[in-house]
Amino acid sequence: MKMKFSKGEKNGAMKYIAYGSGKKKHEITFHQEKGIKIDKHQADIEIVKDGGLFFLKWNNKRYTAEIVDKNQNKYTLLVNGVSYDYSIETPTSYKRKKYLEKNEPKTKIQEVSAPMPGKIIEVLAEENESIKEGDPLFILEAMKMQNEIISHINGKVTKINVKPNESVEKGAILVEIE
Amino acid sequence: MKIKSLLIANRGEIAVRIINTAKKLAIKTYVIKTAKEPKAMYLEMADEIIDFSESIEDIPEFLDIERIINAAKEKNIDAIHPGYGFLAESPYFAQRCQEVNIIYIGPSADAIYKMGNKTIAKQIAIKHKIPLIQGSDGNVSSFKRAMVIARNIGYPVILKAASGGGGRGMRIVEKPKEMEKNYKLATTEAQKAFNDASVFIEKYIKNPRHIEFQIIADKHGNIVHLGERECSIQRKHQKLIEESPSPALDNKLRKEMGEDAIRIAKAVKYYSAGTVEFLLDSDNKYYFMEMNTRIQVEHPVTEAVTGVDLIELMIKVAEEEKLPFTQKDVKLKGWAIEYRINAEDVQSGFTPNQGILERFCYPNGKTTRIDTGVSDGAAITPYFDSMIAKLIVTGQTREKAITNSLTALNKIRIQGLKTTIPFHKAVLNTKSFREGDLSTSFIDTEMTKLFHQEPGEEEMAAFIAAFDYLLEVQSDEEAVVDYEKGKNLTPWLLNKRLKSL
Repeated sequence: MKMKFSKGEKNGAMKYIAYGSGKKKHEITFHQEKGIKIDKHQADIEIVKDGGLFFLKWNNKRYTAEIVDKNQNKYTLLVNGVSYDYSIETPTSYKRKKYLEKNEPKTKIQEVSAPMPGKIIEVLAEENESIKEGDPLFILEAMKMQNEIISHINGKVTKINVKPNESVEKGAILVEIE
Repeated sequence: MKIKSLLIANRGEIAVRIINTAKKLAIKTYVIKTAKEPKAMYLEMADEIIDFSESIEDIPEFLDIERIINAAKEKNIDAIHPGYGFLAESPYFAQRCQEVNIIYIGPSADAIYKMGNKTIAKQIAIKHKIPLIQGSDGNVSSFKRAMVIARNIGYPVILKAASGGGGRGMRIVEKPKEMEKNYKLATTEAQKAFNDASVFIEKYIKNPRHIEFQIIADKHGNIVHLGERECSIQRKHQKLIEESPSPALDNKLRKEMGEDAIRIAKAVKYYSAGTVEFLLDSDNKYYFMEMNTRIQVEHPVTEAVTGVDLIELMIKVAEEEKLPFTQKDVKLKGWAIEYRINAEDVQSGFTPNQGILERFCYPNGKTTRIDTGVSDGAAITPYFDSMIAKLIVTGQTREKAITNSLTALNKIRIQGLKTTIPFHKAVLNTKSFREGDLSTSFIDTEMTKLFHQEPGEEEMAAFIAAFDYLLEVQSDEEAVVDYEKGKNLTPWLLNKRLKSL
């Protein structure tokens, strides 16, 4: 794979930091002559793009990847069917982000939204309750099946926005967690 | 009577599956088109389409008995195959077919009714000395009564809310002295959760296996079993992986359970294909659960190890033919495992992942079979189930079938949706699964993570995101074409211009 860099940092390299949830962090460097580095290690990656799918080969392992969603520098990808979320930062924007995170008030409100349209059958969480990642919050009926909506974060429930028997749209904010 | 035309009162992969066998037998196929999926694969494959796009009643199309019967009569169709789900276990539908002289491809209405009614099925099992899970006959009115019943059936026992289900409102009691506390808790919980305090008692079977026997019988009194399927890998009573044979059965136990399965089927004068479900405990004691009076989703694993075509046999039986083999001809050869590839997000608790299946490619090999009703561009909608396909993988041994499975799962390419494939890989990589040590609580007790991640996936995701971002940044920075003047513009210049406007 050949790459051309129109504007690079020093030595013609472009460095990005892929920053994911759970403090996942990988440094990717693209260099005109030296190729690609992942976390400071030389990475020989074969890429074939076919439609929306990337077929990759790295360290003799094969991967299939797909970009499912992107919004500016925020990406959701599937690799071998498993999803990963990353925001892509330059070294400068990463520093800025870290600085802002440090100075932000510790309590940050996060939200859990409906993954699909459906009807709330049961509310399992209570306001002011402390919940852990993986705890069931709601039972949502969709496609004739009851699905548990589980929390992907740790924290305290500050606000529950839905009641049993209420119909919700995809993306509706069900609960706020601090 | 030879069946010359067949209406398939179903959709998806099972409609496609039935069409394939009907074609082999030179039977003309009819299917029902609904407005919910007007471009489905099964419609393309059938000879004739009956259009139910215009909704008449509030009843869903595949449940509208009179509309289906009328359509079949109008087109002079010989027979109806119900598939699974929908009307497959409706005694009334089978009855109506008979009344209007349409051949129902399945058992008699009487057999469907008796096996579909839990109380009657239980009574039949008792009468024919089929082992059942012992328990209270109906609800238990007091703690004292609970003590008496528990002593009779032996500890541990489980208290279940009469109005409950799905694992809620259940309490396991290991010893007599724990009964009083648990009885109180169970009744108050049941009252709170279901507004009904009544509970009943059953013998508690710890980590049972789900073992079911495939039965096939003709209308001349011949009946054989085609071995077992183990369907212990379940989540909330939804089967996810099924295999045949079961690693838990030896020939002696297979014979014993198979004979019991035949006995209960005979008790209702069963004909056509059916499945007798049992629970098997760790002491190899088994208990009858229920009989399913239809073709099942997981029938391909039986076909793979016995070499029969179950749909063909169902059609032949409906044509009054005799079974072409006897019990001693049935030999289980090799091993087969089926994986349900559903559009579900395993990472967020198996929630349905609706959307468009942009691409679906799968391997074709001697050891793989794919049963599917969708292809590229199909929508996974909230109207029907979330199944994309069933992958059936075989091998000479279980070990070989597992190896072949991992290869096959890695070769399936799906774009646009999240599926249960990472779950299947995680199961296959669990030691106890490889050792054949299964139970219906496998997912809860044996799996620490429900989806498989290959080393390097995280890095590859990060790399692709960064790579895509880099390409975007570059295309932004590379001069933007000014179409008006045919000159190149840099973003800075463009910005300047915009400001000056």
